[in-house]
Amino acid sequence: MTAPTAATAPPAAIEVDSIVTRFGAHTVHDGVSFTIGRGELVALIGGSGSGKSVLLREIIGLLRPTSGRVRVLGTDVWNAPARELEALRRRFGMTFQEGALFSSLDVAANVATPLREHARVPPALLAPLVNLRLALAGLEPGAGAKMPSQLSGGMRKRAAIARALALEPEILFLDEPTSGLDPITARAFDALLASLSRDLGITVLVVTHDLDTLLTIAQRIIVLGHGRLIADGPVQQVMDVDDPWIQSYFSSRRPQRSENPPDGA
Amino acid sequence: MTSAEGRNCWLDQSDDETRLHLAGAWELAGLHERQAELEALGRLPPTAFVIDGSALQSIDTAAALLVLRHLSPPRASGRIALHGFDARHRRIVELVRSRLDATEPLAAPRRWRALARIGLWFAELGQLLIGHVSFFGLAMSELSRVALKPRLLRVRELAAQLQQTGLSAVPVVALVTFLIGMVIAYLLGLQAEQYGANIFVVDGVSLGLTREFSPLLVATIVAGRSGAAFTAQLGTMKLTEEIDAIRTLGLSPEQVLIVPRILALVVALPALVFVGNVFGLAGAMVVADAMLDITPTTFIERLHSALAPRHYVIGLAKAPVFALAIAVIGCRMGTSVERDTRSIGINTTSTVVQSIVAVILLDALFAVLLQALGL
Repeated sequence: MTAPTAATAPPAAIEVDSIVTRFGAHTVHDGVSFTIGRGELVALIGGSGSGKSVLLREIIGLLRPTSGRVRVLGTDVWNAPARELEALRRRFGMTFQEGALFSSLDVAANVATPLREHARVPPALLAPLVNLRLALAGLEPGAGAKMPSQLSGGMRKRAAIARALALEPEILFLDEPTSGLDPITARAFDALLASLSRDLGITVLVVTHDLDTLLTIAQRIIVLGHGRLIADGPVQQVMDVDDPWIQSYFSSRRPQRSENPPDGA
Repeated sequence: MTSAEGRNCWLDQSDDETRLHLAGAWELAGLHERQAELEALGRLPPTAFVIDGSALQSIDTAAALLVLRHLSPPRASGRIALHGFDARHRRIVELVRSRLDATEPLAAPRRWRALARIGLWFAELGQLLIGHVSFFGLAMSELSRVALKPRLLRVRELAAQLQQTGLSAVPVVALVTFLIGMVIAYLLGLQAEQYGANIFVVDGVSLGLTREFSPLLVATIVAGRSGAAFTAQLGTMKLTEEIDAIRTLGLSPEQVLIVPRILALVVALPALVFVGNVFGLAGAMVVADAMLDITPTTFIERLHSALAPRHYVIGLAKAPVFALAIAVIGCRMGTSVERDTRSIGINTTSTVVQSIVAVILLDALFAVLLQALGL
């Protein structure tokens, strides 16, 4: 229940150590390792099928890797007792690709759910606290009364962030937060992530395809390919890595073409 | 961790400003305690305010919100100055302060009064029924198009639906009607035995089963199995935009999806009722043999003379009507799913309830009509 005191030297936010993942005969990861420090804003990229989302699910404890070790905030995700894992889950937030809001609850109740379940919030403070989360995620207070089905794609993702922020997470995981958003909304989303990282000191790991996200806000980029880590570093450094996939990925940027046609809906 | 006296907050008043000192951990986990401590400070003087965070160990947005809201009503939040915060804490407090106005709870939307709720409920029911009628009309016009142009019929889809709604339902229909046949024969037998009227059990069972029980039971099973399946299938297809895709490809979703389902059920249900009749009578035959000394041969002979064909035919004739109701309700509720996974569940439940109610209402209607016709 009680947060560990800051007196002990804080372990790294995320440590991934020689992860191997196999589905049948198909090897997705063949020894992936990296460490992410507190407060970093890191983007995880890679071609379709390179196992970005799988890796993310392994880090947050939804999918067991074939072998290897994952530590989040110092807890060994796949060897910790259930109770410890549960406590750990309260210390990070995750947003899924489609938002994964509870469709039977309105947005405010979605955000209030983790607060009700895991925190003892004075009743009079609950509604203001929910509104604060919505405001931090860039939603108006009026959005709280809406049902998830009434929200646009961008608002859904913001609502998902508001819910992920509910318990003051130390780490925020995001799976393709800008996919399917128009470029203007997507850039506003990038600004939101940057401000969460800067103002609240949250560690952010974002899986993305969006080049603009990488170029504007990511402090560090981890590239997965062929089951391995093919690059890890700041954008400028990664862009110069001699790998055909990385080269073609970033070269699509040079002759300015829209890589994300705004959806018609 | 905290002040010398172990407090997490205390006031420091000078001539024209009040200083609120915060110390120790101000976090979501201890929000109740912190709130109690703030309230213990008593009424706050209406002077300018300074929050001193020099002794703070940690603060998160929830605690910052608690402090700012505690201070803010009498004082414009702009008149609260921050002092001594370390940079990280200050950023958090400033961030919360910049959003403070947005945290004010909105007035709860007006709740519907009881009477209005009843009215709303009836209005919704009315809309639902009107929707059913219009969907029924649509389905009939599509069916007639197929009747005029049999080429339009999707034979593969029809066959698949026949298999799912008909063949796969045979075991459960057989089991249930067999057991019900046994139960009816047993109950009738208990009474008939007392008068030595054992043989009349055959009359009762055969009439009751073939005319009423078998069609009703089988229709109920099918409503739960196939009606629900129609809604769930079509609802999911609507959610994943498959139905839109069908329309965009220049096909008619009604022809591709709905007509085969309705036709399949209209064919399958009478067949299942027939299966139900056979197994129901078989169940009765088992009990009659064991309990009432009616051998299967006697049972069948008596069946020939006692069961007027019209009862049997009436039972079978009800089936397609029931099937039409179930299929139309199932398909309609499926296509009226909204963009939201929850509504698939709601509509599927609703389909089962509506179908069973519709089947029983239709059965009652049949009873009245046939009575009037003297059948």
